[in-house]
Amino acid sequence: MALKGIKVIEMAGLAPAPFCGMILADFGAKVIRIDQPKTTSPDRLARGKLSVAVNLKKNEGVAIVRKLCKTADVVIEPFRPGVMERLGLGPKELLDKNPGLVYARLTGYGQTGPLSQRAGHDINYLAITGLLSRLGWKSDLPSPPINLLADFAGGGLMCALGITMALLNRARTGKGQVIDSNMVDGAAYVGSFVYQMLDSPIFTAKRGEGMLDGGAPFYDTYKTKDGKFMAVGALEAKFYKNFIAGLGLKTEDASQFMDWKVLRKLFADTFATKTQKEWCETFDNVDACVTPILTVDEAVGYEHNASKGTFAEAAPEKFVPQPAPRFSDMPLDVSNVQPFVGQHTAQVLSELGYSAEEIKKLGKDGVIEQAHPSRV
Amino acid sequence: MALKGIKVIEMAGLAPAPFCGMILADFGAKVIRIDQEPKTTSPDRLARGKLSVAVNLKKNEGVAIVRKLCKTADVVIEPFRPGVMERLGLGPKELLDKNPGLVYARLTGYGQTGPLSQRAGHDINYLAITGLLSRLGWKSDLPSPPINLLADFAGGGLMCALGITMALLNRARTGKGQVIDSNMVDGAAYVGSFVYQMLDSPIFTAKRGEGMLDGGAPFYDTYKTKDGKFMAVGALEAKFYKNFIAGLGLKTEDASQFMDWKVLRKLFADTFATKTQKEWCETFDNVDACVTPILTVDEAVGYEHNASKGTFAEAAPEKFVPQPAPRFSDMPLDVSNVQPFVGQHTAQVLSELGYSAEEIKKLGKDGVIEQAHPSRV
Repeated sequence: MALKGIKVIEMAGLAPAPFCGMILADFGAKVIRIDQPKTTSPDRLARGKLSVAVNLKKNEGVAIVRKLCKTADVVIEPFRPGVMERLGLGPKELLDKNPGLVYARLTGYGQTGPLSQRAGHDINYLAITGLLSRLGWKSDLPSPPINLLADFAGGGLMCALGITMALLNRARTGKGQVIDSNMVDGAAYVGSFVYQMLDSPIFTAKRGEGMLDGGAPFYDTYKTKDGKFMAVGALEAKFYKNFIAGLGLKTEDASQFMDWKVLRKLFADTFATKTQKEWCETFDNVDACVTPILTVDEAVGYEHNASKGTFAEAAPEKFVPQPAPRFSDMPLDVSNVQPFVGQHTAQVLSELGYSAEEIKKLGKDGVIEQAHPSRV
Repeated sequence: MALKGIKVIEMAGLAPAPFCGMILADFGAKVIRIDQEPKTTSPDRLARGKLSVAVNLKKNEGVAIVRKLCKTADVVIEPFRPGVMERLGLGPKELLDKNPGLVYARLTGYGQTGPLSQRAGHDINYLAITGLLSRLGWKSDLPSPPINLLADFAGGGLMCALGITMALLNRARTGKGQVIDSNMVDGAAYVGSFVYQMLDSPIFTAKRGEGMLDGGAPFYDTYKTKDGKFMAVGALEAKFYKNFIAGLGLKTEDASQFMDWKVLRKLFADTFATKTQKEWCETFDNVDACVTPILTVDEAVGYEHNASKGTFAEAAPEKFVPQPAPRFSDMPLDVSNVQPFVGQHTAQVLSELGYSAEEIKKLGKDGVIEQAHPSRV
């Protein structure tokens, strides 16, 4: 796999950093998550990772993590700027001992700037990119897509991209470096298209009235007779034609250039006359860009997704997406096992050269914790 | 830069493939976009730093030129329905045969296989079949996607760029290239992994829009100010919530985080409506309450925090666009803001490929290629 032989130290956090670590683990890296002892982790983005529970308030604990980082390829840390430094695990210190280290700092606001010490969440980071002001179609208030754009797309995923870029760079130069991976910049970068196209006919001055953001009735969602939903993306003339035909309307009654409010009502009234299943029968084999809006449960079993293995059963009746994309020469090798806190402390310290006695003593002294399986 | 020396051939398309190519160009790759429509302008604005070669692929000599370019390329990105590249004589088997180290990225909506693989679609459709769209769109009865950001860009172009760097890393070990099936259904689902993993947790409810992060909780929501602008509140944790309530001028006993959410929401909405966005910023800017203004794109560009970090740069007069993320201590930004016009670099690229000036002229006359005139811009 792509990251075979790569060792990653992930300082435990929520959402963005775990997702970044998960991507690296999915692609073959050995990812060791550093947890605080005597905790359970709410983190469910930890498949295939190892968990080592270390008390970083103790010097010996910090020494253990420093030792792990000395032979690591990547460190991911999600803390406010300065926290790692105060722990004695800052980039200068670690890169000094390990110049090939890729030190990724994954935060909301970044390492510098007036907000760099402020707390925040996805909704805040998205708010200051300007993108949130353009989201949320059908209401007077902007609304973000859960926490997908900043935490995940512009956060964890962007950081994983940065890490692979730094590893590619290291292959040429032999050197590691520090990555400032922040969700404001990341989310903005994901949304590059919006900034580039805002002055084009695709968008209007006001949110929700353009081609792709809720204005055009032929790029929108509709409710069916049985209270389910359909998605329509019939932008191009040829697809629009098939869309109208599938609705059973005459092209002269539903020209793409008619008033959008009128068209929207016409489409809504029409969609309401049949069930989602009936609409699928009409549109499944036609190039009209009309698809059912599936619930998560339905998506898992949907024929197209099932045939491609988009999801896999991670736990009884728990289906989760498999890594994307897929490769002809790197088959999937995903472990569904999510570690409990401290599950691998002894194993990892042993690999690091600590003896069984030393490990036992460190546990007794509260420096580390090898958790009991009953914690799961 | 990370991709220095890497040559990418990008078959021109819209949105996902250009964004993928743009990321690679931003990180130092030489990206050559093959435009099939000479005598046109490209609507593609995700092309900064790329070269454009206009080639007529209906002609054998045109295909031969692209094959030649791919022979020494590191990456090919193609956005067509499965089979199109094969019919052009530019399929993966053919190109990898001549260049086993080639990373051949196929970036589509539905993927290379499966019942929908030959169907047309757009972001909204790909998102629809992941199950994620059914969970988006807070405040209305209809699900609504965030423009085309999740499938086209996050799960599309960006995911493909990740796949390409993974394949390049793999190649460094094995010497071999491969084919990437980068499709937006899988990509968007993968970006949304958290949702699938957490759907049965207290964070979400059975119904869209009633949970902790998707519009249910009034302390993770948006509000309108007195002057018709908006504020974003992300005060999930008790300590931030406490500061939030204090900043609103409310008493904690009147606004407990565990009160009825409808009641709380109305209270917050009424309170936010009493002051302007500027006044609220003065209250909250230096407090850990997770309350921020919702800036328009124009405001975001000049916002102090963003300006100080160089999040955006002026790509053209009064046109500000995001710079690449993330940032590196040892790989400084080196972004060209120049977007090529169709056929701008045809002659240059063919010359580098070994074609003589006469050959290039003849190919132009025969309608095989086009070197466009600068007046096309």
